[in-house]
Amino acid sequence: MRVLVIHAHPDPESYSRSILLAVLAGLAHAGHETTVIDLYGLDYPGGPTRDEWRAYETASPVLDSMVAEHVELVRSAEALIFVYPTWWSTMPAIMKSWLERTMVMGVAFTLDERTRLVRPGLGHVRHLVGISTYGSPRWYVKLVNDNGRRTVTRTLRLSTGGKARTAWLPLYSLDGQTAQGRRAFLNRVRVAMEKLS
Amino acid sequence: MKFLVVHAHPDPESFNHELMRRVVRGLHAADHDVRVRDLYAEAFDPRLSLSEKRNHIASPDTKPHLAEYFEELRWCEVLVFVHPTWWGAQPAVLKGWIDRVWACGVAWELPEGAKRLKPTLHNVRRIATFTTHGSPWRINALQGVPGKRTVNRSLRIICHPLCRTRWVAMYRMDSSTPERRERFLRRAERVASRL
Repeated sequence: MRVLVIHAHPDPESYSRSILLAVLAGLAHAGHETTVIDLYGLDYPGGPTRDEWRAYETASPVLDSMVAEHVELVRSAEALIFVYPTWWSTMPAIMKSWLERTMVMGVAFTLDERTRLVRPGLGHVRHLVGISTYGSPRWYVKLVNDNGRRTVTRTLRLSTGGKARTAWLPLYSLDGQTAQGRRAFLNRVRVAMEKLS
Repeated sequence: MKFLVVHAHPDPESFNHELMRRVVRGLHAADHDVRVRDLYAEAFDPRLSLSEKRNHIASPDTKPHLAEYFEELRWCEVLVFVHPTWWGAQPAVLKGWIDRVWACGVAWELPEGAKRLKPTLHNVRRIATFTTHGSPWRINALQGVPGKRTVNRSLRIICHPLCRTRWVAMYRMDSSTPERRERFLRRAERVASRL
């Protein structure tokens, strides 16, 4: 299966990087064909430009060569895996920027001319997976609505026509985790990736 | 009262930019002290940097390049957001303003030995959002309302304990008529003048 992994963390020595490596190890073990988009590593820009916004609902919304490359990766992917730290209950700005610039009309959705309603464009995506760390404990994350999780497992899932299977792997209270707790989570991530089929 | 308006839309000729102007006009009509942050106009970089991440729980003095943003966040009594809703939530540029400006020593503290951060943004007594959705209300409900809850819960908890929130949204932008859009602008201006 072709898998696209999107990662966002500014620090190449972060725990989030270790999670990314665990994801890749698990996917390699299962023999999947994997591509990684490391947004900070690519110096990915923050947010669509005025011209990109003006092109958004046209027949040619992609103006940038890196975005064009990512669009091709999305189009051929059967699984999308998002790896990021949760900040203010949702994804870092750089990852939201990636969604806004990549998931344009003709890629993630089409617009029905008659009803002016959005139609799903990600029907080929069978798995949507999110893996995230939180500074806060679980009860607090639930209280504030776990908004990043909803963006991945609900908002994006609607664009798959409600077909994709979703999985969410959270590590709460990151700062309070012991070395053992962190290792156990990496292991859990690797096993979950090995089982992805 | 002191109002900080934070706006994110890439096109100064957009409906959303007009919405921001009308909201500001409503605030001026009520004789408030208004500051406007137009994030796209100033090419605000929303990406939390490596050094900002490494100084996550350090004093704001470690981020002197953001001092002006910190100062106005501590200054305001009412926060007003004007933005389109994209993928159910705030545009990346606005999310980045939150990631970078709601920093330790500004919006919250982590006292020695504490497990959870302590809110300190007690100057903010009200948060109002004016936003537009391409889709109908029910689609946003299916998505789990992530944009609204990010502001009205995750940010709200950091503000004054009695901080009130207001959400003014227009749905179905993709199929809207000029009349409906104009009605929404008038409503937004009226709401702003009474905040």
